[in-house]
Amino acid sequence: MKRILLFVLLLILLPVCVAGQDLLPGIPPFGARIQLLPILFCLGVMSLPVLPAAAFALAVAVVQGLALLQVQSGQAELGLTLPVLFFLSWGLVLRMTADATGGIRWETHAAASALVTLTMLGGEFLVLCLKRGGFPVSGPVLAKIAIPSVAALLVSPLLYTLLQGVIPRADAPGTETPED
Amino acid sequence: MKNKLPIVLLVLLAAAAVGFCVLEAGPLSSLQSGLLRILSPISNSGSAVGKSLGNLGKDLMTLDQLQAEYERVLAENRRLRAENNGLRDLQQDNEHLRQVLGYRERSAFRLVPAGVLGHDAGAWWSTVKINRGTRDGIAPDMPVITDRGLVGKTTAVSDGMSEVILISDENCKVAAKVEGTKEQGICAGARDPVGELSLTFLSKLADLQPGQKVYTAGVGGGVFPSGIALGTVKSFRARELDGEAVLEPSADLGNLEEVYVVTGAK
Repeated sequence: MKRILLFVLLLILLPVCVAGQDLLPGIPPFGARIQLLPILFCLGVMSLPVLPAAAFALAVAVVQGLALLQVQSGQAELGLTLPVLFFLSWGLVLRMTADATGGIRWETHAAASALVTLTMLGGEFLVLCLKRGGFPVSGPVLAKIAIPSVAALLVSPLLYTLLQGVIPRADAPGTETPED
Repeated sequence: MKNKLPIVLLVLLAAAAVGFCVLEAGPLSSLQSGLLRILSPISNSGSAVGKSLGNLGKDLMTLDQLQAEYERVLAENRRLRAENNGLRDLQQDNEHLRQVLGYRERSAFRLVPAGVLGHDAGAWWSTVKINRGTRDGIAPDMPVITDRGLVGKTTAVSDGMSEVILISDENCKVAAKVEGTKEQGICAGARDPVGELSLTFLSKLADLQPGQKVYTAGVGGGVFPSGIALGTVKSFRARELDGEAVLEPSADLGNLEEVYVVTGAK
């Protein structure tokens, strides 16, 4: 029952996170933006059983893909294939990590949020460079990848604390490892 | 049967994943409009709360600050009144010249005012969301402007919210002309430095000076009408095949609050 509640809650939080990250101001001097979606994604896949975790990863991928969708001359610059592959792969890795640590822990969640944000932004940049040509790695570009990753590391414990009543924590007494 | 349920669900999930991966631009745009429809009430409420919170500080001014603000606004009002008187004459001249040249229909726009709900959190795209959509007569590919110049164009549109791609995005390409010259080129956002515009396909021998204004060229059948301010030349360099100018955008793209969507000519 608690898992179903968590799954529904995470699905409700999905559009809230997308809208929320759009409303948050950029971090000076390069206007890097805080990414809330990877933090929620990590929390979801690390605390849900395998199948709901995969379904949640797919939902995050679709929402993220649609949020970034730019259609130019009838062609989508980034379709949904790469987000789907990215989030499902990370979902698998994080699910195994959660299994190895006996459930979700705030430290692993924070580290995972930072890593997912880092690889997501870095991956987007690489794909755009391949599609548009050029590889302009500069200070602002690195800052736009690094600052949101550090921000994810710092913000993720807040979400973890807010939802700790419904997530099956590894450090909670009598917590079972999530199973199918 | 119970043992087979996870396998069936897994197969369904895999099929859904593959289904999403093979979607073309058309269905993706429809899905994106659906997402905007879901986000619209959340973004509107969030933006309203954000503005209220932002105004809290403004409400807590001391009497001295209020007095200073009042003096400043009074002086500004006097200056604007004087400026307005001068502009009225200019407006009459302008109307007359437009009638003479027959440009009135082309340059008089129907504008829909819109509030900016927030900047897109994506790191590599410059887009904003506005609180106007199809029910306000907004459609994709409509120019968006401020009183200072061009902002961008609408892309995805839902009932009450639209996404606007800014001219500082690499994907927003605008045909442009340089004031006082016959130079024309394509203006798009520069990937580096972020926030500036790049005007390419100029003549290698173009004599552009910093401070020269750049306007939309209004190519027939294009999205943007002619004569909207785009930016100011910051620098120019000749490349191997063409000339490239770096522009400072006319509109303050980093602090957009109110914009206008050009829905057509008057």
